[in-house]
Amino acid sequence: MSEKWRLLKTGANTAAKNMAIDRAVLVANSLGKVPPTVRFYQWNPPAISIGYFQSLEDEIDIINCRNLGVDYVRRITGGGAVFHENELTYSIVISESHKKIPKNIMESYGRICGAVVKGLSNIGIESEYKPINDIITGGRKISGSAQTRKMKTVLQHGTVLMDVNVEKMFSLLKVPDEKIRDKLISDVKDRVTSIKHVLDKDIKFDIAAKAMKKGFEEEFDIILTKGEITNMETELTEKFERGCFGNQEWNHKR
Amino acid sequence: MNSKSVYKVPNGKLLKIILDYDEKNNSINSVRITGDFFAYPEEAIEAMEDELKNVHLDEDSLLDKINNVIQNKNIEFIGLDAKGLTTGILMCVK
Repeated sequence: MSEKWRLLKTGANTAAKNMAIDRAVLVANSLGKVPPTVRFYQWNPPAISIGYFQSLEDEIDIINCRNLGVDYVRRITGGGAVFHENELTYSIVISESHKKIPKNIMESYGRICGAVVKGLSNIGIESEYKPINDIITGGRKISGSAQTRKMKTVLQHGTVLMDVNVEKMFSLLKVPDEKIRDKLISDVKDRVTSIKHVLDKDIKFDIAAKAMKKGFEEEFDIILTKGEITNMETELTEKFERGCFGNQEWNHKR
Repeated sequence: MNSKSVYKVPNGKLLKIILDYDEKNNSINSVRITGDFFAYPEEAIEAMEDELKNVHLDEDSLLDKINNVIQNKNIEFIGLDAKGLTTGILMCVK
């Protein structure tokens, strides 16, 4: 009998709320209040998230973000800056001691990315996990992930690109040298792809999410049952939105 | 004296160091370790930055101190290591 985990589909939210929900689920799971949880979500408005260790001023063109109505947030996970627009974002929260999750961090990246690889395969895209935290297809990146472990609990979130606008992304990110901006853009275009680009057609978010759900079920031999955010998680989300991700002190702290 | 470096750690991530150092004593006043690497627990990076204050800017002193903090704080780096961090810091003073 397969174990039942919770599936959350929280739609599109602001950057601060998205990051607050992931953290709230982490806390609730660490306290044993909710089962292991897989979540699929989107961003509205589009947003840039930066890794915990990155310098906001160094990575993001805040003025262009404001002009284009793009949100920004610092994650609690490491890794790089990500422009979230046309993508499926996933997160998984599970106890570090759960038997389905390797204790070793790199092995656990591989396992969780394995679920995304299976999910992509379900819509006809063959891909592979490329350490440290990428998934590639035809040599190009289609997904990136970041993991933290807090309160004896694993949180990994990541992006699966549905479509990508490299020019827009670079208008929001700082580049080390303006003279090489065009070169950077063309390099990234060569290195990054998306579901739309690979399949040469648009895939609806719900179709992609269904494929990913099946991918997680296959990888972990579990059943994902649609659930809702609990009251406790809603309260924690509000707390983290106010006190952390929606707070400029947090976002500008490095 | 303020300085910056950008260093791609071999087989790792992009490390960006912001350093304020004392030229006379060749030691660190303060250092900010940024980049797209991973460190567990994340908060230990602030402890690392604190511990590096006043450390002499030579390879042996830096490596010793960094390895010491990694051990004491039980830090696991991914995409960064003590050698890479040392190199990134020393690049600021070259």
